[in-house]
Amino acid sequence: MLRAQLAVNQITSRFAEVVSSTVTLNGMVWLAITLAFYGVAIKIFRASKGHPLVHPLSITTIAVAAVMWLCNVSAAGYREYASLLHWLLGPATVALAVPMYNQWQNIRQLGAPLIISVMVGGALAPLLAWAVIYLTNAPMAIQMTMLVKSITSPLAMETGAAIGGIPALAAVFVILTGIVGALAAPLTYRLLNVTMPDAQGVALGAVCHAVGTSKALQMGEVQGALATVGLGLNGILTAVVLPVIL
Amino acid sequence: MHVTSTLTGWLIIVGCYLVGEFLVLVTDLPLPGALIGLLLLLGGLLLRQRPPEMVGRGAQPLLSHMSVLFVPAVIGVGLFWAEVRENALGIALALVATTIVALGATAWFAQRLIKAKRPD
Repeated sequence: MLRAQLAVNQITSRFAEVVSSTVTLNGMVWLAITLAFYGVAIKIFRASKGHPLVHPLSITTIAVAAVMWLCNVSAAGYREYASLLHWLLGPATVALAVPMYNQWQNIRQLGAPLIISVMVGGALAPLLAWAVIYLTNAPMAIQMTMLVKSITSPLAMETGAAIGGIPALAAVFVILTGIVGALAAPLTYRLLNVTMPDAQGVALGAVCHAVGTSKALQMGEVQGALATVGLGLNGILTAVVLPVIL
Repeated sequence: MHVTSTLTGWLIIVGCYLVGEFLVLVTDLPLPGALIGLLLLLGGLLLRQRPPEMVGRGAQPLLSHMSVLFVPAVIGVGLFWAEVRENALGIALALVATTIVALGATAWFAQRLIKAKRPD
């Protein structure tokens, strides 16, 4: 009973903090700046037909960082003003259940080969990255953060925090992983003679999460559907497995 | 009509998130609360076995504009800039080289497995 009450208090006080830092002049102005840049970034992204290099996140972030630099606002300050956006990541993660539900038939039909492939990609990508970063003697927090780079950002940030990584860094690793994968996928598939749409999609989703999934959607409908499955399955698997084994 | 059902769907999603957070806090589960929320919603949708109209509408804005929600997180990297610069080479190698290798290997492996199951 007491525990339940404490939990409710913690959740409501976090939410109250978000509301009170949003409903200030600074909060409103920075929220407006961010959304305005995002609106422009989407236009650029669409005009480029979804080229991964001009992903809306990178454009918006660079523009916001430039204004922060001009106005002499610290990263910690901006994070407080824009905490509403950060809070919404939670519901956005939950919303991923909808595309997963829509792909449920696909998951059941392909069955074991699909799940095994996702598990292979889901284990291979973080382990390789971790091995490289371990060999270069990076600090533990960066090593742990590297382990979550292949899953979708909201899950990566929370899982990263749970295993002793750095959530902010996790978001950056994740987005860069996605951009690299989306850029490299066509040539990589050609070199390895991967022609099957299902395989192309599931690898992009499992290794390169949402950015890979949007690339897969461009390649075709089957690729897009399977990438959604890869993204969701690997996100869940990684988020469940890492905190338990580490 | 559209607005109310979008809003209801949105509230269901937020509700799942809050219940997930609550369960994690109460039970000390080492899992993200949002993940529990996702599993709750997925479980609920599978049990109902009907196209999730309201929830789908509520999910749409969150899913299609997820990118903007990451801006504060990415800006936060400024707080860790020194650590990133110190380990720049390792991070770059880990992000570029291993991502391409893992992507290629996974796709190649998936193709073999799927071909074995349904030979064309």
